[in-house]
Amino acid sequence: MYDNLKAESALETKDIKFSAKKVQVFYGDTQAIKDVDVDIEDKTVTAFIGPSGCGKSTFLRCLNRMNDTIDICRVEGDILLDGEDIYDKAVDAVQLRAKVGMVFQKPNPFPKSIYDNVAYGPRIHGLARTKADLDEIVEKSLRRAALWDEAKDRLDTPGTGLSGGQQQRLCIARAVATEPEVLLMDEPCSALDPIATAQVEELIDELRSQYSVVIVTHSMQQAARVSQKTAFFHLGNLVEFGETDKIFTNPEDERTESYITGRIG
Amino acid sequence: MSDTTPEYSGAGHHGGTMDIVRKGLAKRKRKQAILQGIGIAAIGFSLTVLFILLASLVSTGYHAFTQTHVEIEVFVDPEEISEENLPRGGFRNVLSNSLGQYFPESDMSDRAEARVLSSILSNGAQFKLRDMLVEDPSLIGQTISLTVPTSDPYDQLNKGLIDRATPEEFRRLKDEEIENFDTLSELGLVSKPFNAGLLTNADSRFPELAGLKGALVGSFWALLTCFLISFPLGIGAAIYLEEFAPKNKVSDFIEVNINNLAAVPSVVFGLLALAVFIGWFGMPRSAPFVGGLALALMTMPTIIIATRAALKAVPPSIREAALGVGASKHQVVFQHVLPLAMPGILTGTIIGLAQALGETAPLLLIGMNAFITSAASSPFDSATALPTQIFIWADSPERGFVSRTSAAILVLLTFLITMNALAIFLRSKFERKW
Amino acid sequence: MGMLPFAILLVAAIVGYMINLQSARAIRAGGTRLHSLSGFHGMFSALLVIVPVLTFVLLWLGFETAVIERLMFASLPSGTLDGLGSGEVQLIGAEIRSIAGGRVFGTPEDWKLAAAERLLAYEAWSDWLLIAAVAALSVALMLFARSRVAPEYRARQQVEKITTGLMIFCATVAIFTTIGIVFALTYETFKFFQMVSITEFLFGTSWEPQIPIREDQIAAEGAFGAVPVFLGTIVIATIALTVAVPVGLLTAIYLNEFAPQAVRSVVKPILEILAGVPTVVYGFFAILVVAPAIRELGVTLGLDVASNTALAAGGVMGVMLIPFISSFADDALSAVPQSLRDGALALGATRGEMMMNVLFPAAIPGIVGGVLLAVSRAIGETMIVVMAAGLIARMTINPLDSVTAVTVQIVTLLIGDTSFDSPKTLAAFALGMMLFIATLVINVFALRIVRKYREIYD
Repeated sequence: MYDNLKAESALETKDIKFSAKKVQVFYGDTQAIKDVDVDIEDKTVTAFIGPSGCGKSTFLRCLNRMNDTIDICRVEGDILLDGEDIYDKAVDAVQLRAKVGMVFQKPNPFPKSIYDNVAYGPRIHGLARTKADLDEIVEKSLRRAALWDEAKDRLDTPGTGLSGGQQQRLCIARAVATEPEVLLMDEPCSALDPIATAQVEELIDELRSQYSVVIVTHSMQQAARVSQKTAFFHLGNLVEFGETDKIFTNPEDERTESYITGRIG
Repeated sequence: MSDTTPEYSGAGHHGGTMDIVRKGLAKRKRKQAILQGIGIAAIGFSLTVLFILLASLVSTGYHAFTQTHVEIEVFVDPEEISEENLPRGGFRNVLSNSLGQYFPESDMSDRAEARVLSSILSNGAQFKLRDMLVEDPSLIGQTISLTVPTSDPYDQLNKGLIDRATPEEFRRLKDEEIENFDTLSELGLVSKPFNAGLLTNADSRFPELAGLKGALVGSFWALLTCFLISFPLGIGAAIYLEEFAPKNKVSDFIEVNINNLAAVPSVVFGLLALAVFIGWFGMPRSAPFVGGLALALMTMPTIIIATRAALKAVPPSIREAALGVGASKHQVVFQHVLPLAMPGILTGTIIGLAQALGETAPLLLIGMNAFITSAASSPFDSATALPTQIFIWADSPERGFVSRTSAAILVLLTFLITMNALAIFLRSKFERKW
Repeated sequence: MGMLPFAILLVAAIVGYMINLQSARAIRAGGTRLHSLSGFHGMFSALLVIVPVLTFVLLWLGFETAVIERLMFASLPSGTLDGLGSGEVQLIGAEIRSIAGGRVFGTPEDWKLAAAERLLAYEAWSDWLLIAAVAALSVALMLFARSRVAPEYRARQQVEKITTGLMIFCATVAIFTTIGIVFALTYETFKFFQMVSITEFLFGTSWEPQIPIREDQIAAEGAFGAVPVFLGTIVIATIALTVAVPVGLLTAIYLNEFAPQAVRSVVKPILEILAGVPTVVYGFFAILVVAPAIRELGVTLGLDVASNTALAAGGVMGVMLIPFISSFADDALSAVPQSLRDGALALGATRGEMMMNVLFPAAIPGIVGGVLLAVSRAIGETMIVVMAAGLIARMTINPLDSVTAVTVQIVTLLIGDTSFDSPKTLAAFALGMMLFIATLVINVFALRIVRKYREIYD
């Protein structure tokens, strides 16, 4: 069945998941993001690259309104998810975040058991009616995060006891357990060693079959390896957005070229 | 609802998830609102108690800031008081006779009646008269005008604290006594000026005469002792531990020790002072010096902890810069780090001293709750301190001491607030962000 | 007179400083390079004078009284003190001292007057001896310091060695304090247990120390079973924590996560005020407002309420502990890393769910540490219970009854005249010992938890 889906998705023209228009972000009086327009497709890995401080993480955090937690942060412009403005008053951030999952830079498992970590989202949202349902969701999510084999015998042990790469995969499992449609990843490999990085990157590639994945990275090799679309941010502007292959081989903007060839960064 | 089939196979089923989330949302929000509500209630509880505390202190305490006085013409009868006998003499008789002139129909030769009348005046009135005459014996035989405090019940009456509507048998003043007072009042002889005696008198058994001078002086000496001992010791210890001590078991032990000492109940420090300073070293009881010693041992951990935090806040780059030009470790610490850390150290010290000022239990154990009617002239004399004076007055049965106690507390709180404000000012003025 | 030795010392230190400074400068003016700056040579002299001489003076003053007293007793006509108990000897000593101080009551025996005169003479001698010794020592040390001034002399290192030594001394004062506490308590407690059996103290259920004890039946009449006293402390502390823990934790939860900045900036200083109110003020508040209110409420409800209920003392103590617990809990919640908050929010948790499911459990160790410290404060708190709780020890856990507490008994047993050989006084030290042990165990445990917790998230 999986294979079926995959085959289908490869053929069909992809839906637009997120559509951002004229997005501006301010921290107090300073503007962090200027006029960003971008369309993010379903079942695609989109990479945000750019030098540090360019606003790529800030923009990513706009997509699930994590910026709401910062008092002085203000977002203008429209961000549509499936055609619905996520900054509309009627939209609840809680509901939005159940739909748009997120994985962070540093693995941040809760100081609870592996099982409870994964089960947390389904529990608070009431997604499982019975214990058996919940067990199934946990197993499925851990499988999807390629952690099941390593974790199945120690589901009751604390998630904080896993290795760094395992912790990050646990966080991915936790994020997919609520059946989100979009997965945001904020430099998910920056705290990991090369082997764990390779595992996570492989996982990202697999996740593409079911989710729209947006990944912020400052490793251009990583962007090239995992993504189909790439957006290059510089000083709060979205400089260039397009097919990853094209951005890396034949960028239109000279700033992109300078960054990719290592002259700015 | 094929969405909820156990096969969570991916993107196609999202609609279902969102429905479930949406349904549960209202309930979850309600739970959060309840949590917030009881949080606000908890804060409201604290604020209410603080408000009641302050309101009860102010509403009872403000009475003590005024004192009812009567102004009477006193004929200094040479038959009662003669220059040779000073400072002895019939001051009491002179006063009650003089009071009698305002009550023509009363018979001052009736001792009971005279006693009722003179009970209006404070017991301190005769001493005031005596002191005036000792200073200027030529007043004998003359008529002088004397303004003296009334005794406590009449003071209460004048301040409306004794309800005239109460049946006589439950009232502290009989109808006759109230009438007497009203007579004086109608003659315009009664006044209620600011009670300077509250701050300038020492303790007394009579509420209308009791003041805080002895306690203020005692607290001053105790706090001075405390500061002079705990400040250098605390800073020395903190500098050593933070900058010089090798990280080993010994310095670890000292550190654990200091943290524990900071949490030892204050009454235990009182036991220490009683057994060691008074019992073994034979230091005087009730002396502010001994109290200051006990307070110093209590305050020292606070100062050490604050100093270490302030030293830690000075960035290593300053140390490296000074070491880089060839300064010795001592020079670095004493010429660069310590001056930069000083505002933080002072803030911590002031807060520690403010705690020490309000500390009562150790002072009680070393006997600073003695009844002492003069201010101490050195830290080795017997004295009370502000908090122990509050304790003494709170324990006194006379009604007048209730408002004195509240007033004393207000004075103590004023000092504490001033000290804390000073600390906050220092912190905000000199605090550096590195 | 009393200040004279200190004045001499101060002058000697300044003079020594100046002399060494000048001579070092003279060497430099002569063209020779000094190893250390001239100021260090001066400091060396000053420190060399101050440190030993000040130690000497303080030791002298510390032992002066005891030595003189012993000399005075030794000089009494032989046989005067034969057959007298230690209490009587102390009384004679006190009488002689008060005669020497010019306060003569009645007509004392001649030998007492003579002893008083000798006492005064010894004191005068002692004063002069001290002054002479201080002067001689100061000059000797000054001269020694002067003799060390030389171009190659490492005055700076010497000064630094002395200051390091001084700082080490400061750091050990904390240890000496602890040793002093332990030693004083143990010593007096030991004396107490020689009069009253340890099992009676620890397990006896009758506490009546105020009964006068006659000479010939030491401790036979007073009852020193401390169980009701311990029980009273436990009852009051439990009431206090029942108030303080929920209110404190909820306050922290609200302030940490939900309160707008404006509320935080108002409420936190107010809580600090609440924390800074001296306990004697809370005690007065308890007897002025809370106890009457509880009694009145009890009367309207038809309950039998004592005048100084455990509820009033415990409730007010609870209010005192609220800011303590809330600031600890607030710190513990703030120490939970931002990433855990983000993680929970990103899963779609409401802020309430994030707080209760993630932050609060993660902060539990720190919070438990804070609550334990609050427990130790509650059982060690003195003034509130001295003023608002009862004096009579009762075996009851009824919060509307009047109970006493360990600290109340310590204070009431020691207020007034204390002599260190009556079981009444010593009982206070035994109670103090129990209090110290209990709080120490709790504190060590709590501080360890708090420390561990900080290490997790640092």
